[in-house]
Order: sequence, then structure tokens, then C-alpha cells
Amino acid sequence: MRDVLLVKFAVRTLGRNPRRTLMSILGVGVGCGIVLYMIAFTRGSNEIRIRAISESGFGHARIAPAAWDKTRDSDLRLVDWERDLDTAAGMSDVRFTAPHSRTTALLAFGTRVAGVEMTGVDPDAEKNISRLVRVLSEGRYLEREDEGVVVIGTAIAERLDVELDDDLFVTIAGAGGEMKYAMLRIIGIISTGSRTIDSTICHVTLAEMERLTGYAGAGEITIVFRDPSNIDALTVRLSELLDGTDPVLSWKVVIPSQGGDMGSDTVFMNILVGVVIIVAVLGVASAQLTAILERKREFAVLIALGMKGGQIIRLILIEAVAMGVLGAVVGLAIGFPFIYPAATRGYNFADMMGGDFVTEGVLIDPIIYADMGMWLIPLAFAVALFSTLVAGLYPAWYAIRTNPTSALSLREA
Amino acid sequence: MNTNLVDVRNVTKDFHNGRITVEALRGLDLAVHEGDFLAIVGPSGSGKTTLLNLIGALDVATSGDVLIFGQDLAALNRRERAELRLMSLGFVFQAYNLIPVLTALENVKFVLELQGVDGGRHERAMSTLEDLSLGELANRRPNEMSGGQQQRVAVARAIVSRPRLVLADEPTANLDSENSEALLRMMRGLRDKHGMTFVFSTHDPLVMAHATRVVTLLDGRVVSDEVKSAGTVTGSTN
Repeated sequence: MRDVLLVKFAVRTLGRNPRRTLMSILGVGVGCGIVLYMIAFTRGSNEIRIRAISESGFGHARIAPAAWDKTRDSDLRLVDWERDLDTAAGMSDVRFTAPHSRTTALLAFGTRVAGVEMTGVDPDAEKNISRLVRVLSEGRYLEREDEGVVVIGTAIAERLDVELDDDLFVTIAGAGGEMKYAMLRIIGIISTGSRTIDSTICHVTLAEMERLTGYAGAGEITIVFRDPSNIDALTVRLSELLDGTDPVLSWKVVIPSQGGDMGSDTVFMNILVGVVIIVAVLGVASAQLTAILERKREFAVLIALGMKGGQIIRLILIEAVAMGVLGAVVGLAIGFPFIYPAATRGYNFADMMGGDFVTEGVLIDPIIYADMGMWLIPLAFAVALFSTLVAGLYPAWYAIRTNPTSALSLREA
Repeated sequence: MNTNLVDVRNVTKDFHNGRITVEALRGLDLAVHEGDFLAIVGPSGSGKTTLLNLIGALDVATSGDVLIFGQDLAALNRRERAELRLMSLGFVFQAYNLIPVLTALENVKFVLELQGVDGGRHERAMSTLEDLSLGELANRRPNEMSGGQQQRVAVARAIVSRPRLVLADEPTANLDSENSEALLRMMRGLRDKHGMTFVFSTHDPLVMAHATRVVTLLDGRVVSDEVKSAGTVTGSTN
């Protein structure tokens, strides 16, 4: 086996100055631990955000009419919503689909009125994609065969001072611009715990919405994928399957502020990770360079024996790899005691948020959990090895530049 | 034994230190023949080590030609010079310069590994150590050996690949007379057994006594070149 002694040479060299080696490994380990914690927390936070968006009824992506992205007009309808629904449901990566149609409505009870965005839903599909419809405080949720009924949020019920089985007077601007009127009986009142969300919920069946507005079909199909970590690629794939008749928009397009928030969080985290890695690299490079300077005479001898530049670089990089492996283990040992409680108990930001944490209709859980998994192990090795290998490059270059005659002339010293 | 392993022709070597230029070698000529056991002597600053560095392809001449085995060193790049040192030259240094984290056996094997020798490395290295009566020290690290033992291991490292030319820079400077004598006898034995050529830079009269040829340098020039008979050295300091 070739290079056996080169590896032994490199690994044993780490034991020559144990204190310096331990400090370097500790430096890499601390940096690695911090990076692991930051990435675990950001990943956990992003996952919670995506789940909250999905479970708030937005899904991971949405098939929408071509003009919707620009106009955000709730009265737009899909070209062929049933074909879109079948295509999406037939894609193996799609877990749930739910068609929606929307319109602006005025609800009245006696002298009280409330303006809402009324949503037409397929009740069975809605129960799969939205946790909001599972938290009824009174009554029941919609069934597909229901007619002339509505489910509203508690905040709307309180504002209109209505109860279960009361009849609401509904005014809608229908197709063609004429005003349409209907009486809808309240069969369920939803209480999500968030007044903001509860003031927006007004659900009827898709068929009811068609009757009320005169617009046929669905205005959007909400998609939930099986793999939330691969939303962008799956969105593109579904879009290709639909041949571009109705575009598929990822949640980042549907709720741009959420996408922007997550993007800026990720960029900020990447900058911090970069800073931590740079500090670790500089620390290790400094220690490595000092070690190389102390071994200048040794490198002169190796060069005199005929060792080539590539072999010297390999020797120093093997030392860096050994240090990186140990640094990764230390990084995991340092990071785990922080990541484990963050992943199991989480951090409760409820007090900091001052009540509901709702933006653009997304109810975000105030308890943020870090993401802990086996992925931390390869990441720890990647971070530590990257740091030590980069840190070893300059010292390696310096070593191969050793002038053997001047270094060996120091023999009398 | 008239084949020239090394030809040094009208070589100069200057060192610059700021505005000061030091002429270490001034038009030096020297031929090293196969089988020479050659001692280069002279006072400090006479150019002994500089000459050894040039012959060892560790440095390049300011002017003139240095030919090793007929190859002009000036025509070789850094990598080719490294290859020449690795495959055809052996080095012994004053301060032994063994790799401290490797055992005696590993130090000797290391050269074979650098050469890319695939099989039989262990056997060759062990056999070389045993030839030099170092078999029992094979698993010791340098700090577990005496100076004389380390220098013998350094010789084993220099000769394990059977180089045609071994260059030794003050090899006995750190040894007592008993160890020096033993080392020189061992090297003479290697020269006689394997036909290797040895070139020493030295101040040590004992090395001069063992040499078959003594070249004296003064101010960067050869001032005498004395060939001694093979039987000159028969005595022992023991």
C-alpha cells in the first residue's frame, strides 16, 4: 500500500505539540459546533415556517390563473380546473390537492356587517391541507353535499353577534357585475386561537360559490408535496406536466413577504456561518504556519531526500484532514448539548411576539424547534474538513517554498 | 575507476546579502570518480558545503557547469532535480535529521515509499538496517537512540535505495571518535561492497585518514587534490 508512512508521519506529527494541536482542534470544534447550531436552528425555523404556511391553507404551491400573479384578482378562474386537479393528483410527489374559489363578500346580520374574502372549498380536500378547519369551537365543518350553509371564524361571529344556526345575509358582486344576494345558515364556528385568522375565515362549498357568483369552477388548486425540502424543483416539474396552461406558483410567489423573510434569514445565517468559518480558518492557519516554520529544517531535509512539492502538500493536507476529523467530533460534542434541547423543547417566542404571530394569513407557531438529524454528522465533517484543508493551503505552499540550502545551513544552531 | 560521476567545471557561486556579494566558489574545477571515498576539506567559509549543495542538486551555480552522471544540472527543472536526488543520490547530514515521529525502520522505508517502490519495502529496509548492525533498533524512534546510532540510521536511509553517490556533510561532527571510526569503517565497507561513491565535506582528520582522496579548498578554489592509496587507512583509533 502506497503512502502508508506518509499518513503515519502526518498523524503522528499532530502529537508533537499536543497543546497546540488540542487548541487547534478545539478552535475548529467550537467553530463547527456554532455552525451546526446555527444551521440546525435556521433549518428548524424554516421548516416550521413552511409547515405553518402549508397548514394555514396555502400549501406548498398553487396552480393559479395566468393573470393572478399580477392582478391578485380573486374572481379569476382556472382554464380547466378539473384537468389541472387530475394532473396534480396523479403526480406521485403530490400528497394533497385542494381546489379553492374566492370572492369578496359582505356579511350582514341585523344592523351589523362585515366584509370578508369568502372561500369556496372541497370540504374533504380542505380537511387534508388545512389545520384551521379542524379547530371548530361550535358546530361542524362543511360536507360536500351541503347547500346554503357557511362556516365562519369566531372573530366574525363576535363582530356580527351571531350564533350557530343563525342566518347571514350575504351580498356578492357576481359575474357580469350584478349584485347577488343569499341567505346562508351558520353550521360551524372556527376558533384557531388567533383573532387575526378568525376574522378572515368564511368557507362555503365550491358548488355554493358557483351558485352565488355565477363563476364556474375553481380559481386555484392548492398543492401539498410529499417532500417539503424540494418544493422549487417539484413546482417546476408540475408546471411542465400542465403544459403551461395554468402556471404553478410556489408559496414564495403566493406569499412573497414570507419568502422574503425566509430568504433574508437564510442569507443572514449564511453570512454568520461564513464569518465563523473564516475565524476558525485563520486561527488554524496561524497555528499551522507556526508549526511549519518550526519544521522548516525538516522540510529542507525532505526536499533534499527528493520529496516533491505535491508529496509535501499531501503530507500537510493529511495532517489537516486528521485535525479536521477530530475537530468534527469535537464540534458534534459541543453542538449536541445545545441542539438537543433546542430540537426537543424548542424556544418559545410567544412573549416576544406579544400574542398572535400572524402575517398574511399564516399562523406561525411561537415555539421554534431546531432541526436535529443524522445530517448533522456529514455536515460537521464537511465544515471541519473544509476549514482545516483551507487553513492548510497557505502553510503547505510555504513549506514547498523552503530553500533547502538556507534551511540546512542553520544546522549549527 | 576513471569514470566521472560528477564534473564541476569552472563553477562560481555568489551569495547576495543586501549590497554585499559573497563569492563562495571562484572558478572551481573538480571531477569525482566512481568509487571515490573523497574528503573535501578546508577552513570554514572555503566553500565546502556550497560545493556539496551544488553536487547534490540542492542549489544552482552562478556560472560554470555541474554535471552529475553526465546530466547538466542547469538543464533540469526543480522537479527533475528532486527526481535525481531521490533516485540517484543519498544524503547524510551532520545533525542526522531523521524524521522524529518515525521509527528507525520507518525512516529507512520512507525513502523507498517516496521512490514509489511497491513491494518488499519492509524487507529491503530491514536488511539494510541489519547490514549496519541496527536490526535491534528498528522499532526505536530517534529520541530513543544515541547520536552514533542515529547517524548510522541516517546512513541506512541514504543507502537503502543503493544510490550511486552519497553526499555527507560533516557526518562525524557530532560524534565521538569511537562512533566516528565505526561510522567511517561502515561507509568504507559499503563502498567496497556495493561500489558506491562517497563525498564528504569535513574538518575531521579521521575522515581525511579514511579518505582515498582529499581535496582541499581555500577561498572557493581547489588548492590541492591528493589521491591516497587504498591501503592508507588500516589502523583503528580503538
